[in-house]
Amino acid sequence: MEFTHEVIFCIVNDGFGDEAMNIAKKAGATGGTIINARGSASKSAESYFHIVIQPEKEIVMILVPSEQRDAILHALYREAGLETPGHGIVFSLPVDNVIGMNKSVGAENK
Amino acid sequence: MEETEQNVVPETPKRTDFEQRERVTAKYLKEMREALKRTKEPKKKEKELAPKKLELLVTIVNRHKAEFYQDLIQQFEVNMQMAMMARGTAAREILQILGLADNAKTVIFSVIKQDRIPDVKKALEEKFTTVNDGKGIAFTVPMTSVVGVAVYKFLTDNRKEVKEG
Repeated sequence: MEFTHEVIFCIVNDGFGDEAMNIAKKAGATGGTIINARGSASKSAESYFHIVIQPEKEIVMILVPSEQRDAILHALYREAGLETPGHGIVFSLPVDNVIGMNKSVGAENK
Repeated sequence: MEETEQNVVPETPKRTDFEQRERVTAKYLKEMREALKRTKEPKKKEKELAPKKLELLVTIVNRHKAEFYQDLIQQFEVNMQMAMMARGTAAREILQILGLADNAKTVIFSVIKQDRIPDVKKALEEKFTTVNDGKGIAFTVPMTSVVGVAVYKFLTDNRKEVKEG
């Protein structure tokens, strides 16, 4: 099965959602959706990896054509990754049956 | 040589032979057809029994249209939906500065049977284009595993099975 689109999930600390979105936009994304969330990593993992996990999080969801995925993932990893104050975790999932992106995309998915 | 030629003469018994064979083959054909029918029926049942694949349908719509879309999706044998508050970030900077942008969104996660996706896709496509302020985005992610028979039955909305079992 070939997937034409992928959804990128970027989990960042509270307040960094808009920054992550700006980075993604520079890499070619058109828009995204931000959800408020709460992290729940274990205390031992926190001390092992020397990162502080603040419970308040924002999840940025960006739906992109598959060929744009790598550029956006790399940009987010570099500028909003674990090494930055945003402590971003970035991953993507393949999706199908995409509706409502734009007309040209709809024609492709017929 | 003559004797062998005489042996060829009895043609009449050959004809009856042929008729007999025809009768036998007709009988066999009938039996085979019946056997085929017998094998076909249980195959159908097996197909019905095979577990249906599930997918996660993600729909992102304006917040004040969330309930409308949840009701719409529920018509397609969907038993569980989760909605969460979110905000959109599509380029509307000027409107945002003026305080006119309404970027409040709702993300709806629904667990849906794979065979209902074409129907729900058609319905959503129609509503996205026709409903005033009802524009949105939807996509599906295939689910690879579900643990528990009861959970699967709940997710597939298989009420009959649950009652009987």
